[in-house]
Amino acid sequence: MPLYLPIAELSMNIFLVISMGAVVGFLSGMFGVGGGFLMTPLLIFMGIPPAVAVATESNEITAASVSGALAHWRRQGVDVKMGMVLIAGGAVGSFFGAQVFTYLRSLGQVDLMISLAYVLFLGSVGGLMFWESVRAIYRQHKGIKPKIKPREDRHKAWIHALPFKMRFRKSRLYVSALLPLGIGMFVGVLAAIMGVGGGFVMVPAMIYLLGMPTNVVVGTSLFQIIFVTALTTIFHSVNTQTVDIFLAVLLLVGAVVGAQMGARIGLKLKGEQLRALLALMVLLVCVKMGVDLVVEPTELFSVGEAGSH
Amino acid sequence: MQKLRFITLVVLVMFVGQPAIGLVTDLSNKRIEIRYSFNGADLILFGAVGSSAVDPVNDDFDVVIVVRGPEADTVIRQKALVGPIWINSDSLTFPAAPGYYAVAASRPLADIASNAVFASYGIGFDHLPLLARTPRGLATPNSDFRSALFRLQSSKGLFRQEQDSVVHIGEGLFKTDIRLPANVPVGDFQVETFIFKGGTIKARNRIMLAVDKEGFERAAYDFAHGYPFWYGLVAVLVALTAGWLAGVLGGKK
Repeated sequence: MPLYLPIAELSMNIFLVISMGAVVGFLSGMFGVGGGFLMTPLLIFMGIPPAVAVATESNEITAASVSGALAHWRRQGVDVKMGMVLIAGGAVGSFFGAQVFTYLRSLGQVDLMISLAYVLFLGSVGGLMFWESVRAIYRQHKGIKPKIKPREDRHKAWIHALPFKMRFRKSRLYVSALLPLGIGMFVGVLAAIMGVGGGFVMVPAMIYLLGMPTNVVVGTSLFQIIFVTALTTIFHSVNTQTVDIFLAVLLLVGAVVGAQMGARIGLKLKGEQLRALLALMVLLVCVKMGVDLVVEPTELFSVGEAGSH
Repeated sequence: MQKLRFITLVVLVMFVGQPAIGLVTDLSNKRIEIRYSFNGADLILFGAVGSSAVDPVNDDFDVVIVVRGPEADTVIRQKALVGPIWINSDSLTFPAAPGYYAVAASRPLADIASNAVFASYGIGFDHLPLLARTPRGLATPNSDFRSALFRLQSSKGLFRQEQDSVVHIGEGLFKTDIRLPANVPVGDFQVETFIFKGGTIKARNRIMLAVDKEGFERAAYDFAHGYPFWYGLVAVLVALTAGWLAGVLGGKK
């Protein structure tokens, strides 16, 4: 059954859109990730204009993060103060990201920027994750136990030297506010230009840079993602009018069902195996994007999007 | 000045009006509404040649029908190898390229009239007048970019030539199909009909066709473009509500 999407200005099969949501929802439920890094490339691949894909996916991530954040909130898994600082940074980053996005769109280089950002971030994060999980699987196989560092040594010297220190009770931290502000800002830029929540960068940064306890990491990151993707949606709507509510809601319908099933399967797999699989998937998207950049396209010409000069 | 314009108009009406006697055309639908289930539209154009320069019963005549969509800024970009990757480098803007352009004919165009005739009326892919915007004003576009525009728009089904044929029904009555794809631009379309005989134009006429978003699709589009901040806010509220609902429903299982 075809459905005309008024903002994307094209017609798509309604069941295809819902199944895309379901497949990505299944994978994100299984791995416990947002899925933006899979959905945005998939939408572009299906012929949705990149600007619409990025802006619409921001809108869907807001919805997808709410239920997760609520669950963590009930379990006291959200550090609100830390979240606020991350949101403040995210707001600034998202604003500038959206400006850059609009500017590059007018130059016809937004596709290039999206591809480069995906190759760079998915490549590095996927590579690190893959290496880490393979090492963990190997160690478990050999029976080697990693040494656990004492909490006091978590921070490097340069982190202690930063000014504007702030106390975060829930995370049991006393660190410079500049650090979460910077992390939030960086994630905000990624949210605006890649159509992702940014959890794949934020969660490792919270663990390894900030040294937050793992029980508040995911909840706080989801808490930040809700607000930053909401702002990103508004920025994109104001700048380029590319948010398609209908597409977002349809994707969400599929994602909700898919995520429930994915989460059940995910419980049956081991943590290291899950991370290795996730890393492979991230690398696969990265390689696909990278290959498309390097291989000579069959059609060298393209028609510019309406409204861009 | 006013007088001159009036005289020009009268001359024009006489000139254009005279050979057009007897040619009438109509569409099965003059107003296409894009609604949620829109997946393109098929129209039928009917036309009849009555008593005119062409005797429909005894003479063989040819029909060429040209449908032009609303004009818009259209950018064509060319990728080039920069270091290891392919990047959009050159671009050319056609400030008034039609968003839709279809040519249907009763025979292959080459058999109907000479290139010079089609060129003087600007009919067909090779003759459609198109200018490119350059720093020095409007100019004839580079042929690579021009042919890329036609190739790309054809692949999207927006430009079509000699894909739909005009069928003679008899007694001067003819018809053709007009295929509008789902990605058709909205706006006013011109449907021009040319009657050829012996390689020259004997009659022509023009009717209008409108394509517009309607109902919910129109409301959503107008809201997004007219009040983008509020649209964004509504999108966020919808997402928050949907996410919350999903959480509540999912949690109960």
